[in-house]
Amino acid sequence: MPHISLAAETVGHLFGVPITNGLLTTWIGMAAVVTLSFLATRNLVLVPGKGQLVAEILIGGLHSLFASVMKSQVKQFFPLLATLFIFILSLNWVGLLPGVGTIGFREMKEGQTAFVPLFRAGTADLNTTLALALIAIVVIQIVGFRTLGTSYAKKFINLTSPIYFFVGILELVSEFSKVISFAFRLFGNIFAGEVLLTVIAFLIPIIAPIPFLGLELFVGIIQALVFSMLTSVFLLNATAAHNEHT
Amino acid sequence: MEQLGIQPQALIMQVINFTILVVVLTKLLYKPILGMLDKRRKEIEEGVKLTEKLRLEEEKLTLRREKLLDEARSDARRMLEEAKAAGKEVEKDVIAAAGKEAADIVEKAKADAQRIHDGLADEIRKESATLASEMVTRILSGLTVAEQHKIVARNLKEISKSN
Repeated sequence: MPHISLAAETVGHLFGVPITNGLLTTWIGMAAVVTLSFLATRNLVLVPGKGQLVAEILIGGLHSLFASVMKSQVKQFFPLLATLFIFILSLNWVGLLPGVGTIGFREMKEGQTAFVPLFRAGTADLNTTLALALIAIVVIQIVGFRTLGTSYAKKFINLTSPIYFFVGILELVSEFSKVISFAFRLFGNIFAGEVLLTVIAFLIPIIAPIPFLGLELFVGIIQALVFSMLTSVFLLNATAAHNEHT
Repeated sequence: MEQLGIQPQALIMQVINFTILVVVLTKLLYKPILGMLDKRRKEIEEGVKLTEKLRLEEEKLTLRREKLLDEARSDARRMLEEAKAAGKEVEKDVIAAAGKEAADIVEKAKADAQRIHDGLADEIRKESATLASEMVTRILSGLTVAEQHKIVARNLKEISKSN
């Protein structure tokens, strides 16, 4: 039976910091993204080559997509939203590469030999998804306060009437729940996909996992899109006047 | 938390990772690509504007060409009419001059004919006088003076009658 662990395993330590297999895969994904970006943009010309064309389609498409939600504010938030999409997508897809979850080592745990995979999909590590969720929500709050000033706080603390006060508490709770929903939605989808692929590959190793790999590629895009689009919508809501909410 | 694998240090590492990626991709990918897309959009806009401008220019030139052609056709028609009119005038003058010249030639020919006629008449008269004189001389050479006087007188009489 294959080894399935909800938590990312620690594969080593760097300056006393535990390095999880999810973190290791994240660095590989980041390195791939940075390298591809460098290759695509090292020689930009008006008539693009293949690499530049792919980069233009991706970045131009993302820009148009976020512009359709955020209108003129897209310029300000595009780096954050596009990086969320690219980061999540790269981690999701790197997690589907052969060797992820299968290359590893055995170590003794509580008197038993356990398999520790060296690589794990970055987004199948709750630390990653929680970090991204926290970044998104913190940025949303900062932007809300910077745009609306103290009136943004009225969204959460409104003493003008008992109903508004209660609604404010609900809003406050919803902000915390956003972190949880962001983190667990992404983690759950990718971890479930990883488990599904592991189980299918264990039961029927040849051909059978291929359709599921295709499905997971699709899920990877969808989850990256959902995360970044929800962040853009929340950012837009945070910058809208308080009266528009109530 | 431990079962979910949440570790504050790993969490912070991922926050740092993401922040680094935002900075790197902004410099390496977003700015250059969006700049290039913007540049291309501007180039296309300029191209479209230029095409529109050239199209308008072409329309103007076509209209101007049509106008010039119309003017040229109109000028040609007018010049043709003028030439025809001038030709008719010249024709009239030429005919008149030719008529006058012909009349002069006829007059001159008549005068010449008259002059020749008069000359010939004089010559004939002289010739006939000479012949007559010779004939008279020959005839009268065998006659006496009285007979000669008689014949001369008779002939003079006849001549005076005939005149």
